[in-house]
Amino acid sequence: MAAADVTATATAPGAAPPSPLRAGVTRAALALVPVAAAFVVGAIVLAATGWDPLSVYRLMVREAFGSTAAVESTLAAATPLIFCGLATALAFRGGVFNIGVDGCFILGGLAAAWLGAALTGLPGWLLIGVCVLAGMITGAIWSAPPAYLRARLDVDEVVTTLMLNFVAVGIASWIVNTALLAQGTANSASSPIAPQAELPSLGGDITLGLLLALIAAAAYGVWARGSAAGYELRMTGLNPAFAQVSGIPVRRVIAGAMLWSGVIAGAGGAAHALGVVHRFVDGFSPGYGFTGIAIALLARNGAIGVVFASILFGALASAGSTIQLFSDIPLDIVDVLQGTIMIFAAVQVVDLRRRIRREAA
Amino acid sequence: MIGQVLAAATLAATPLLLAALGGLLNRRGGIVNIALEGKMLLGAIIAVLVSAKTGSWVVGLLAATAASAFAGLLFSLSITRLGANEIIAGLGFNILLAGLIGYALNDQGTYQPDGLSTLPVIDVPGIESIPWLGDVLSGKDPITYLAWFAIPATAWFLASTRPGMRLRAVGAAEDAARALGLPTMAIRDASTVAAGAFAGLAGGQLALGLVGLFNQGMVAGRGFIALAAFYFGRARPLPTAAACAIFALFDAIQIRLQQEGLSTQLVSTLPYLVVVIVLTLTAVQAQRREATA
Repeated sequence: MAAADVTATATAPGAAPPSPLRAGVTRAALALVPVAAAFVVGAIVLAATGWDPLSVYRLMVREAFGSTAAVESTLAAATPLIFCGLATALAFRGGVFNIGVDGCFILGGLAAAWLGAALTGLPGWLLIGVCVLAGMITGAIWSAPPAYLRARLDVDEVVTTLMLNFVAVGIASWIVNTALLAQGTANSASSPIAPQAELPSLGGDITLGLLLALIAAAAYGVWARGSAAGYELRMTGLNPAFAQVSGIPVRRVIAGAMLWSGVIAGAGGAAHALGVVHRFVDGFSPGYGFTGIAIALLARNGAIGVVFASILFGALASAGSTIQLFSDIPLDIVDVLQGTIMIFAAVQVVDLRRRIRREAA
Repeated sequence: MIGQVLAAATLAATPLLLAALGGLLNRRGGIVNIALEGKMLLGAIIAVLVSAKTGSWVVGLLAATAASAFAGLLFSLSITRLGANEIIAGLGFNILLAGLIGYALNDQGTYQPDGLSTLPVIDVPGIESIPWLGDVLSGKDPITYLAWFAIPATAWFLASTRPGMRLRAVGAAEDAARALGLPTMAIRDASTVAAGAFAGLAGGQLALGLVGLFNQGMVAGRGFIALAAFYFGRARPLPTAAACAIFALFDAIQIRLQQEGLSTQLVSTLPYLVVVIVLTLTAVQAQRREATA
């Protein structure tokens, strides 16, 4: 399965390096194509059901960015998406088609919620640190089997990671309905975490989780562009055979990419459990991992792109729930937009590669 | 009690079997179809809508098959003509179809219109009263029998017909097939349309046979279990059908366990876990063979 298809970056080997500014502008413009296509499809759906698309979109923009509170809830909604987008982008950059971010996010959240409720004696900063670390380790553990299978035995990671998502949902659901089931609740929820484990608010709905997400994004961006390991990751993604002969330990790079992807996803789950849900519940992730795929695609695996694309999807989610409340437009319109963005982003990657090849020729 | 489990498993196997056979054809043509889930959901809602409108389950199922075949065509064109990555496009179609259906139903969740014509049940005289065998073979809807018939038919199609062999050629060696003058893209499209049709019929059977209503969550991962089944069966009809039977048995046991108060959540993960294990064992085997060669 040509994983490299989704991991093309803006410069191909042998191509004359375009100026960074122009490359950035081109990249941003290309990312807007699937988004624009999605809004056209969404407009058709809205118009067909008797809504004026323009006024709905205007309302959505206002609900997402029109006031301080709106911006805060948009950024809060973007927080788990930044983690999942980064986790996916890191793997994609290395040519690893990891679609198991959702499972790592869920189990990372479960681990953090469990420790957050169990270690009530610890002071806040230590407890938060322990919980986030537990989430990261859990994410790494969950991505270890497919990482090993891909790196050592060449087992297609698409299928294993996809399947393990369902296994993660089942295991988490089992644990939260048995060992961690909170007393006195109807079902499917763990005990609330200790108050000092809750991530402090940075204004409105925004918590420390957003800061952690942005730090992760910055670290990823610097690491991917400025370090030897980041270079090895990119070379492995672009052309594993070439990377191998130039002395890059391709198998180790691939395994590392999947493990770190799990670490970031697990941290995201922990931040979501500590910052937003304050416990673990069935249905903890409404598919953040899959939105993360759309985000990584739009961002072409870049750190800044991931942040902006996450804000876009956060805005859609946040405005979507508000307009459902006030104007009776089903929240599913957000899924219509997201699905369309994914389809067009999947199409567009190849167009970009063709363009590069033409430019290089 | 064993009879009840067998009867439940046989019922549960039908939608898996249909969707998996469709996915298998597609896989043989070189496309991994992750969008079976969404197309089953589309088939389910169309079957319920049209069956209620026309009062005929036959027309309902035909409409479901056609609608999902059309969705399959769009999916295929995005891959073969626009070069979309099949996995991302497949996930995108799943989200898009679920979103469109949810939007159209306006979050009602369950939809059970009046005048719904559901699938009839055929009792096979002579067999129905035999314990165990009767539970499996008798008292099923026509689509279940059709699905059984589709197993040898698919095997025969792939092994012994000209289109079947062409499909395999395209999947196994696209460049060689193109060099021979085969319309590789059109053949791929046809296999994706077929996968859509099978998935649509599977969704229709699920809605009109097992329950007689539409629910937004009714497909419940069956499209992905079908994917697991044809991966387990390495895209060969008989092993794939066997995988569907095993997974359906898990499903039936799970319903039992629910009554016993045991963990249904863990049993529900078994099909997915089995696929990971099978892929691992296959890879270990391949590596051993390589090492000895």
